[in-house]
Amino acid sequence: MGRVVEQGIQSLNGTLTARADSQAASSTPRSRAGWLLLPSLALVLLGLILPLFLMAKYSVSHFEAGAVVAEGLTLENYVRFFSDPFYLWILLRTLTVAFSCTVVCLLLGLPAAYILSRISHPIIKTALILATVVPLLMGNAVRAAGWMVLLADRGLVNSTLIFTGIISEPVRILYTGSAVVIGLIAVLLPFMIISLQSVFEGIGEIYEEAALSLGARPWKMFFRVLLPLAVPGIFSGCLLCFVLAVNAYATPVLIGGPSFQMMAPKVYEQAIKVYNWPFAASLAFILMGVTFILTVLSSLTLQKRYGTV
Amino acid sequence: MIGTCVIAFIMVLAPLFAVAWVSFFDNKIISFPPRGYTLNWYVAAWEMERFRDGFLTSLKLGIVATLVSLLVGVPASVVLARGAFRGRELVQSILLAPLIVPGIVAGAALYMFLIEIEIATGVQVAMTFGGLALAHSLIALPWIVRLVTASLIGADRQLEEAALVMGARPLTAFWRVTWPVIRPGVVAGGLFSFIISFVDLEKSLFLVGPGSTTLPIAIVNYLEWSIDPTIAAVATVQIVVIAAGLIVGDRYFKLTRAF
Repeated sequence: MGRVVEQGIQSLNGTLTARADSQAASSTPRSRAGWLLLPSLALVLLGLILPLFLMAKYSVSHFEAGAVVAEGLTLENYVRFFSDPFYLWILLRTLTVAFSCTVVCLLLGLPAAYILSRISHPIIKTALILATVVPLLMGNAVRAAGWMVLLADRGLVNSTLIFTGIISEPVRILYTGSAVVIGLIAVLLPFMIISLQSVFEGIGEIYEEAALSLGARPWKMFFRVLLPLAVPGIFSGCLLCFVLAVNAYATPVLIGGPSFQMMAPKVYEQAIKVYNWPFAASLAFILMGVTFILTVLSSLTLQKRYGTV
Repeated sequence: MIGTCVIAFIMVLAPLFAVAWVSFFDNKIISFPPRGYTLNWYVAAWEMERFRDGFLTSLKLGIVATLVSLLVGVPASVVLARGAFRGRELVQSILLAPLIVPGIVAGAALYMFLIEIEIATGVQVAMTFGGLALAHSLIALPWIVRLVTASLIGADRQLEEAALVMGARPLTAFWRVTWPVIRPGVVAGGLFSFIISFVDLEKSLFLVGPGSTTLPIAIVNYLEWSIDPTIAAVATVQIVVIAAGLIVGDRYFKLTRAF
């Protein structure tokens, strides 16, 4: 898991960094302290940037079974991906799963986030935020185990349904696409709730009060006043969920089972099991590229409509 | 509205409670309701070498990654938060990049890179503790940078300058003036680093090897074959370790502020 928490928080703290920027600008430069940055930059360079360049080289290399060193300059790995219906199907499935998860997360997360942001009792509020945040830090392996316990043929959900007489035979839930969607929703919901909560906190209650005091009904106020104000924030929350879902590994592997294939597990399979590094590398870059293109395209659309993001 | 809110919280919390509950079941195969309750699965889990080793590796890895990322991350954060210099934005994005690149992509890249180094030097680095430690320090770093720079926001820079003007050496000024300000950020950053390292899956996936497998990887490998009360006990141990970390950390900073 791990991954999951990380990316999310980044986008949530834009405001903090923005404030840090304005403060830094007003302080005097300290030229001699620059070397303090070097160890950390070296760590990222060695652990991330150089490896990514190497992988880029692999992704345009010719695959020779048994040979490890990358050779040649070719686009054949990318061509193979985009001309093989099998891989295009996996990409399509990954995008579909991510999209459905994002939509459900929005529908479930929006009310929760709104309620969270309007609770004034400090203890209840802290407790609810902790209930959202803590599961996020528990790791995907553990949460996948939880869903397996719940959704297995003799799991809690099936047992309860049989016990209450709603069904007589266990329904297959685990190792299906819906199970993956359910599992991913649970993984992503905390991100959605936390990011939307901060959006609603930021809007404040003044607008609501104004709308209500002018006679708008609560529902009308919500859809006509609050929601339009929150659109950019809602949008970045959705984007975050979508990106995390596209890159999910543990949930599809464990809850989806071997026949439900998505992109991230395929990268692992090609690199470690098949040992086709050039193809694994191009899969990884396609995964990253799709994420990146969607992010850019959708921010551009939003920028056009709302001016700022 | 309240209804969807309840569904949301149930979806987030149910798997954790389910797995903890099942770990006490007195059944070999999971079925509801349980025949009775027992603690035997915890003993059984500890007796399985892969889980014990995995637990100890993850613990060591978490500590090493936290120390390394603190060591390189805290000085960098202080410079980032305090200095206005050319390329500051760039440096900041580089240091936060490990958050943005998807784990599976970064993991695959690092794996190929380490193998390449192995071929060039003849020294084994992939599938060793060292390789894992590098990967985990890397994913911990952004947390340190974010939380420590955040703790410097609103701190009065002039206090430090006053100390320097009045003749304090830079180190003394740091220790007596800056350190108390950033301490909550350092504690929070360290704690998050540990947790992020302890639960990491995608990065470690490519880098684990015989004798250096982490707990989450051991859990996933086992879950691919079966789900039983033993693995539920292992998962519960992971939940408890992280909860303990959060409770300890909560005494030093407000967890809700980290997000």
